[in-house]
Amino acid sequence: MIKASILALAATLLLSACATGVQSPVVRFDRQVNYGDAKSVELVTNEFGSSDLQMIAEKMVGSLLETGIFQGRPTVTISTVKNKTSEYVDTTNVMNSIQTALVKSGKVRFTRSINEMQAGVDELQRQNQSGLYKSKTTAKVGQMTAAKYSMEGELTSIVKQNNTTKDVFYKFTLKLFDVEEGTIEWQDEKEIRKTSKR
Amino acid sequence: MKLRHFLLCGALAMIGAGAMAQSGTPTGTPAAVAAKVQLRGEANDIVIPEMRIVRRNDVMVVQADMKNTTDSNRTVFYRFRWLDSSGSQVGDGESWKQITVLGHQIQTLKSVALHSSAVDFRLEMNVETQ
Repeated sequence: MIKASILALAATLLLSACATGVQSPVVRFDRQVNYGDAKSVELVTNEFGSSDLQMIAEKMVGSLLETGIFQGRPTVTISTVKNKTSEYVDTTNVMNSIQTALVKSGKVRFTRSINEMQAGVDELQRQNQSGLYKSKTTAKVGQMTAAKYSMEGELTSIVKQNNTTKDVFYKFTLKLFDVEEGTIEWQDEKEIRKTSKR
Repeated sequence: MKLRHFLLCGALAMIGAGAMAQSGTPTGTPAAVAAKVQLRGEANDIVIPEMRIVRRNDVMVVQADMKNTTDSNRTVFYRFRWLDSSGSQVGDGESWKQITVLGHQIQTLKSVALHSSAVDFRLEMNVETQ
């Protein structure tokens, strides 16, 4: 009799546990929000998107590493990235992804770009002119390493549209210039076609 | 710039190596290639008859031929996953890519490892019928 009661109680507890389930440690309101895979193919619209950025960066970095131009771990700086499309595209993002992958490869050293230079100069001046630091520990002025190569990019697009179809063709071109000689030492491009139908 | 071009493991010469119908691998794909493929779902008549692997300037480069054996088009989603000597993934992983393989067309997929520590790879893919 007692054994039967215990079994019944256990079954009831088990059923109630199954009915409610455990709650995940999230703060969630009525609106459904989920984290997705950042590497997924994004097909929301045919405007420039995350997948385009990732594909361009992967192609350019792969091509650069494959050619072996970075033998001897040379110094490189990021120069201009022109956006010649009709869209607003943060081209710095593309170059940042390329730079991140190249730095992680360990094959190249990047020097400060023009946009990053002022922060470096400010820090040098703070260390050398504020009088706050031990002179032995301060970074010396005039010791920066200049870049052997300069990286320049350009994004263009061709858009064609009719009543039912919109076709966008993107082309990203990246060039690596030898700063001293002014010659192009490497160049590659990534073409992307995106077509949408109404 | 002179390119150094080293053969890693002699191109996986697999044409006509005998079709293998393993679970989770594209039917008609040779066994040595199938070992490198992680197929999600059905292959839907897509086969990978050949893969070429080289080590070029200290990084691995892989090319995989993808063949559509039917008249109708197929949409393939794929990415390469690079592995180091311990089998761990190198880096954050590639982004997924979409490619259309027309009827009876062969498309070549290419990828370059972004770090010299990569010594192996897997091709993750799934195939959609249109």
